[in-house]
Amino acid sequence: MERTLTREDLLKLAAAAGGAAVAAGPVGLARAALAAESGRLQVMDWAGYGNDGGQAMFAQYVKGHPSNKPQFTYMTNESDALAKLHAGQKPDIFRPYVGWVKYFATSGLVQPWDPKLITNFKSLNPAMVKAGQYNGKQYGIPADWGFDKILYRSDKVKPKAKSWGLLFDDRYKGKIAWFDDLNMLTVAGLYLGMKSPWNQSDAELARSQKLLKSKKHLVRLIWSSETNLWEAFGSGELWIAYAWPNDWVQMKKKGLKVVYMSPKEKPVAWVGMLMLLKGTPRRQLAHAYANAWVSVKSGKWLEDNYGYGHSNTLARPSSADLARVLQISNPKAVGLPNAYLDRDIPRRAVYARRWEEVKAS
Amino acid sequence: MRLRSAFATTTLLGFPVAWLVVFFVVPIAIVALYSFDVYTLFPEQHGFTLAAWRGFFHSSVYLGLFWKSVKMSLIVSVVVVLLAYPVAYYLALSGTKRKYVLLLILIAPFLTSYLLRVLAWKVILGNNGVFNSFLVWTGIRSADHPVSQLLYSRFAVMLVLAYVWVPFVALPIFVSLDTLDRRLLEAASDLGASRLQGFLRVTLPLSLPGVAAGFLFVFIPTVGEFVTPSLVGGTSGYMYGNQIADLFSTGFPDWETGSVLALFLLGVVAVLTLVFSRFTQMREAP
Repeated sequence: MERTLTREDLLKLAAAAGGAAVAAGPVGLARAALAAESGRLQVMDWAGYGNDGGQAMFAQYVKGHPSNKPQFTYMTNESDALAKLHAGQKPDIFRPYVGWVKYFATSGLVQPWDPKLITNFKSLNPAMVKAGQYNGKQYGIPADWGFDKILYRSDKVKPKAKSWGLLFDDRYKGKIAWFDDLNMLTVAGLYLGMKSPWNQSDAELARSQKLLKSKKHLVRLIWSSETNLWEAFGSGELWIAYAWPNDWVQMKKKGLKVVYMSPKEKPVAWVGMLMLLKGTPRRQLAHAYANAWVSVKSGKWLEDNYGYGHSNTLARPSSADLARVLQISNPKAVGLPNAYLDRDIPRRAVYARRWEEVKAS
Repeated sequence: MRLRSAFATTTLLGFPVAWLVVFFVVPIAIVALYSFDVYTLFPEQHGFTLAAWRGFFHSSVYLGLFWKSVKMSLIVSVVVVLLAYPVAYYLALSGTKRKYVLLLILIAPFLTSYLLRVLAWKVILGNNGVFNSFLVWTGIRSADHPVSQLLYSRFAVMLVLAYVWVPFVALPIFVSLDTLDRRLLEAASDLGASRLQGFLRVTLPLSLPGVAAGFLFVFIPTVGEFVTPSLVGGTSGYMYGNQIADLFSTGFPDWETGSVLALFLLGVVAVLTLVFSRFTQMREAP
């Protein structure tokens, strides 16, 4: 006999479930809420972090939630993600970097996480956790991290000094790569000794832009994808590059004699931040996904396979070389005196315009 | 009868016109609204303004980049026409029975992806590529001193674009030559014209509509090209199309300026198309 549920039955069931959840405490409440969420978790992430190679990062989540597997869309950068969000795309989670935390936290597009629902949260690097906060709320769950430094071929290049100036060295015309990001203006500001490279005045920005424009003829490639950089660097087209830790790992794997140099003006450190969209219908699932991402297992996999650091302090890479370059045992590696942690650029639109003009010049 | 004919015309034209309106006119109108700030990506900013247009016309950088792209496209278009013309001429007028087979071979690269065809040039032009390996093998260059300007340069962009577009240009020229009335050539010959004179005074003028069409086929897409420059162009091969794409999604979204750049390109291309189509029609007039 077919049995149909009446409205009263449904209300009774809901009341019973709610009552059971209250009786079981906050964890029970969370479980009940989790059970109520449905559909696939929508994740907007960078290429290589979805089902195109990054499955290990969220394997634990998939195991626990087989009927809510993540569905990925991709972002090429934060600006691209911002445009997509404003254009109506509604992922549950996306992953901008630390310099955008304040922007997104104040944009009204995201909501804070509840760290209590992330069991691995207690193992995360406190400095990175703090960097994910705005007004005392946790808008970003720190995930991967690394540095912007200079990669160069030690058999071809003899730097005059450990400085960002190597990216502007006339002796290596046609062998230099910059990164396609307005952060190049920040680097120029650091090189020129400015007090606030992330908040330059108009006059300072003009100086930074002038430097970049005047040195652009030395640059062979302004890279926006790492594979592009690896290809050009690996084939000898490039000897010097603005690079991330993984680029150094990859070039070492190719057997090249490379140095990953910390400039005296200090490198820039960055931390990827998982962010939760406002109004997401899968809040609990998103927390479970973030928890999987910041587990020790995922962290070690990320370090071993992608060559970046991971916010979980218990995760350690297999390579001693990588551990040394990342200063993995230094919990304050991403901050002073070691490096400047990337930060909010209050006049980002102005910086972006200036950087576009550099490329177009 | 007339009514039925009118109905048939409306039905036949209705779908393509509707298609054009929905997928061409409306999107362009939306882009135009973005350029005037009537539409914005960010909900808090609104209001009609000409700021982005003013910024564009006062920026020597954007106009300079546009001019650079125009020059590159002109060079590519001229080179491609010069390369394609003899090929089309041979196919159309040599009397070979295999002309359609040869034509098929000419367009065979189109059976593979555009991206693959462009990426293949990296293998050819790179420091360790086919060309440099050959130079090293012949002893012309040492392995430590390859010709490194081949890749990630303006030259690389123009070379790859020329390669990609040659078949596109050969086709319209082939069509105009293939439909040429051969009796005109015979008449020229009977009247004492040499083969060169016959070509210069009969064949070439009559094939100019095909040449003009082919030229436009290359110029229009290459002036706004951004895939090839981003793959093989490096810093010096950066084009106007790359700037449009970057304004929409790199650094911080600037859809207003990006829309202005896109519309300016569209306007220039539209004017050029009008001029060329006028020229083509004049040539075709009896």
